[in-house]
Amino acid sequence: MEPIMQVEHVTRRFGDGETEVVAVRDISLEVTTGEVILIMGPSGSGKTTLLSMLGGLLQPSDGRIRIGDDELTELDESRLPDVRLQHIGFIFQDFNLLSALTCLDNVALVAQLSGISRKEARRRAKELLEQLGLGHRLNFLPEKLSGGEKQRVAIARALINQPDIILADEPTANLDSHHGHETMRLLRRIAKEENRSVIIVSHDQRIKDIADRIFWLEDGEFKNVVEMALDPVCGMSVDKVSAPAEAEVDGRTYYFCANGCRDEFLEAPEKFLVDKLPPVHKN
Amino acid sequence: MLQLAWRNLSQSRTQFILGVGGVALALLLMLALDALMAGSEKDLVAYIEGVGADIFVSQEGVKNMHMASSAITYRDLALASHAEGVISASPVLYTTGVVKTNGASVLSYIIGYDPNEPLGGPQTVVAGTTNLQPGEAIIDEAVARSQDLSLGDEVEIMGQDFTIVGLTRGLTNIVNSISFIHLQDFQALRGGEAISYALLDVAPDANPAQVAAAINARNPDVLALPTTDFSREEKQIIRDMSVELLNIMNLSGFLIGLAVTALTLYTSTLRKRQEYGVLKAIGAKNRNLYTVVMAQAALSLALGFVAAIILVWLLGQLLPLAVPGMGLTLTQTGVTRVLISALIIGVIAALTPAWQLSRLDPAQVFRS
Ligand SMILES: Nc1ncnc2c1ncn2[C@@H]1O[C@H](COP(=O)(O)OP(=O)(O)O)[C@@H](O)[C@H]1O
Ligand SMILES: [Mg+2]
Repeated sequence: MEPIMQVEHVTRRFGDGETEVVAVRDISLEVTTGEVILIMGPSGSGKTTLLSMLGGLLQPSDGRIRIGDDELTELDESRLPDVRLQHIGFIFQDFNLLSALTCLDNVALVAQLSGISRKEARRRAKELLEQLGLGHRLNFLPEKLSGGEKQRVAIARALINQPDIILADEPTANLDSHHGHETMRLLRRIAKEENRSVIIVSHDQRIKDIADRIFWLEDGEFKNVVEMALDPVCGMSVDKVSAPAEAEVDGRTYYFCANGCRDEFLEAPEKFLVDKLPPVHKN
Repeated sequence: MLQLAWRNLSQSRTQFILGVGGVALALLLMLALDALMAGSEKDLVAYIEGVGADIFVSQEGVKNMHMASSAITYRDLALASHAEGVISASPVLYTTGVVKTNGASVLSYIIGYDPNEPLGGPQTVVAGTTNLQPGEAIIDEAVARSQDLSLGDEVEIMGQDFTIVGLTRGLTNIVNSISFIHLQDFQALRGGEAISYALLDVAPDANPAQVAAAINARNPDVLALPTTDFSREEKQIIRDMSVELLNIMNLSGFLIGLAVTALTLYTSTLRKRQEYGVLKAIGAKNRNLYTVVMAQAALSLALGFVAAIILVWLLGQLLPLAVPGMGLTLTQTGVTRVLISALIIGVIAALTPAWQLSRLDPAQVFRS
């Protein structure tokens, strides 16, 4: 598949001389449509710096970043807001909703920024929020919502302009594990069913199972790339390399968390090959 | 964006009251002073315009009453009365003094007139008589009310006691009030033969300006002015004397409004710094954020302006009840001036927060 984003030899330095810090060092990455990428790493490893560059918020010191037809690193500073508005959806750790606006207006505002009329923006926002199960919260202020609801509003806001790429910075940090997991499953569903690429920065080990690829960042460099696969029986995400069991059916390889799952699968593969994920909205 | 501005403003009650109320008070200060000025100007010349004279004759060089001292002779009066077209010439004595009653003093123009002459005294009274005798005084009902005086009570004027025999209406203004005593009493107290002004009544077919010019040509010791000119001079003098004060007050009103609006905008922008950063990260342009700040400033000012107008109107209803002789008149110039001030305040007040927003680094959103 055609990569939606290409990152080539990107380096970012802060300061110079004695105090120079290389926050991100020679990173290359291709993101394909519909893919969920998880970037993990200890604090100070450069995750936020990398994500900021991918989102057009920060220019690299060296290297190139391309989104669709736009070469971010060559664009004029004043063009970046538009690229962010049209191509990227942002999801933040603290949700970062505007406290004075209702859920509906929080989402609609972002559509309006891209030039859509207020009426149409509100219509789209309402539809999107309803699909995300927030139909009963449209006119609530953010302070009246639970953490999980706030994050869903934030996701709706990230989706409203139908961006190609969704960037999420520690999206589960302020959620309990139930809501955290729900949020991640929602993001995965959106990636798969709407062909949007999702890049998540996190150090939350619990969300590993929803990623297609996991990058381990240390001192600004990728140390390890893990290809993940979903155990079709129990739904657990397993590392392809170290999976305890695998099997080939019709020329495709499946990975399992244990021999038990593989055996169950091989008895009747067709039972497990339907997509078990619930349907998601179509715009 | 406009909606965001409105919601930001109305989100917290304190913020709203500060933002709108502060501006309203500052504009009220400016508007009320203006209205007070306009209202009092009208009252200031109530005697001059209401006494019924067509021409005021005063000492050469004296063009008004307020803070002026004029002395002419009976010969000057007689000369004026013989001018072509003059029907009558009435003498009045005038000084600025106080009316004293049980310890309290009220600043007053004291006018001595002769009830047997056609002009000089009040045209009408609301109680008592205009036919004043020696030892008697006529004062304004506003003074009577504030000092709790009624007909038959005694007041001290120029060191002597007088009995109140009449009450006038509308002869109290922001600067003072007008009280009348008999010409004879005034002359006795003052000593000498001089009079202050001669009030002329001219024939209906005569032109006061021409009559005045003829008098001036004949007698270089006096100045004859048609009532309209005399009244205009009186207004001008008071305006000149208070303009400095008014300027200072208008300036302080402007500065208070500026400070309050700027401060509210500044703090509300500062408080939402994080949120504006998020908007920038998402893709809002500086232009969008300026719009919010500008709209918020405009809203504060518009609401503050409306509130100020309403408050001035209310004040205009209440003030005369509390302070006799004080009236407010909203003029178009006054309102326009305040509106322009408000606009300037808004622009200046919005500049700093707008500049702050333009400097926000959108990458800041990912750093807590
Ligand atoms: N604006 C900056 N100025 C100077 N140093 C920075 C800046 N941003 C990040 N760094 C440095 O870059 C390194 C990586 O930071 P960061 O990307 O925030 O890591 P992470 O998100 O993984 O915790 C750190 O050493 C940090 O101090
Ligand atoms: Mg970080």
